[in-house]
Amino acid sequence: MKHLPKHLRPRWRYLAVAIESWPDASFDRRALQRDLWYAAQNLLGDTGSAEVDLTVVSFDRTDGEATAIVRTRRGHTDEARAALACLDSVGDDPVGLRVRGISGTVRACEEKYIRGPPEAPAKRQVVFENQDRRAVERGERIDVRTDDAFAGTTALDFR
Amino acid sequence: MYEAVHARPDGASTVARQALSAAEYGFDGIVVRNHSDERATYDRDAIAAEYDVDVVSGVEVRAEDPSRASGLVGNARSSETLVAVHGGDVRMNRFAVEQPTVDVLAHPMRGDGDFNHVLAAAAAENGVRVEFSLARVLRAEGGSRVRAIQDLRKLRELVADADAPYVVSADPFTHLQLRAPRELVAVGETVGFEAEAVRAGLAEWGRLAERNRDRQSESFVEPGVRLENDDE
Repeated sequence: MKHLPKHLRPRWRYLAVAIESWPDASFDRRALQRDLWYAAQNLLGDTGSAEVDLTVVSFDRTDGEATAIVRTRRGHTDEARAALACLDSVGDDPVGLRVRGISGTVRACEEKYIRGPPEAPAKRQVVFENQDRRAVERGERIDVRTDDAFAGTTALDFR
Repeated sequence: MYEAVHARPDGASTVARQALSAAEYGFDGIVVRNHSDERATYDRDAIAAEYDVDVVSGVEVRAEDPSRASGLVGNARSSETLVAVHGGDVRMNRFAVEQPTVDVLAHPMRGDGDFNHVLAAAAAENGVRVEFSLARVLRAEGGSRVRAIQDLRKLRELVADADAPYVVSADPFTHLQLRAPRELVAVGETVGFEAEAVRAGLAEWGRLAERNRDRQSESFVEPGVRLENDDE
């Protein structure tokens, strides 16, 4: 189809989203996109969901940490923020997320709010609650594998 | 703005991890409100210094009946900065709003809990903050989420009518359940709150903590009366 004239093209806003999860998370861009659509539809309804038109433009994950750029229509960033906040898990993986910033272009969004790939995690052994446990360390953050789940801790807990 | 969190063993993350995430999300502080039967041990000053975020010691008193809760509130009052009561049961809601020593009635609409104009008036008179918990808006689905939003609307109308004080929280049990203030404001607006009301509700935790710390300081005698140093 022929390109739309410039004044009729939609205006986008790009949200830089920081996503955190437990180290065993395995979701990909498609899973995030699907659950984001559901989250928007559940919160805002079909019309609201069509209005915000959320699309995951880029996605980058290393174990427990991911960044994504999510596109929405200009003037609907608050609704987009609300729908994102209601994203409690992707697939079966619980996620925590926050909007780092909003830009008018993908490039500005990447340059301003996404600095390089996420930090590479390191495996280590820790003594947590008087037991030897395996753990995954990302900078200050340490996720300890307990019997049936993970525990979120920081370096401060092992001093 | 402050967030009131549950930490290990009540939740999955330690107080330090909640504090680290909260600082990154732009909160000025956290209130540790572990249930009274799941208390956490932590070094408040070390965490506050390391992550540059205020850490307020608190408790959410959970008891089967008001008489037991009463004892727990009394014990907690002297040791904790902030005392909340685990609401969600008609009798416990009523107990909490009638106690001036209680700071916050947590999630009064949880489970089969309910609220009415009489309780709202009592909360206003005794200065008990009623909590608007966004937990189920953020984390429930389908019918139970619809009911959560309906409950919030009812509570909002009652609280506004009685001009009762309130707090807002996402009630996170892990650092993954934390949401930044701007996100909470956006969600609040979607379910019918004024943006300013959500911000005020998040800030209220901090104001409460400051007031209670002042009251617990040695120079405090009673509201409006304090001991002055006469060294000069």
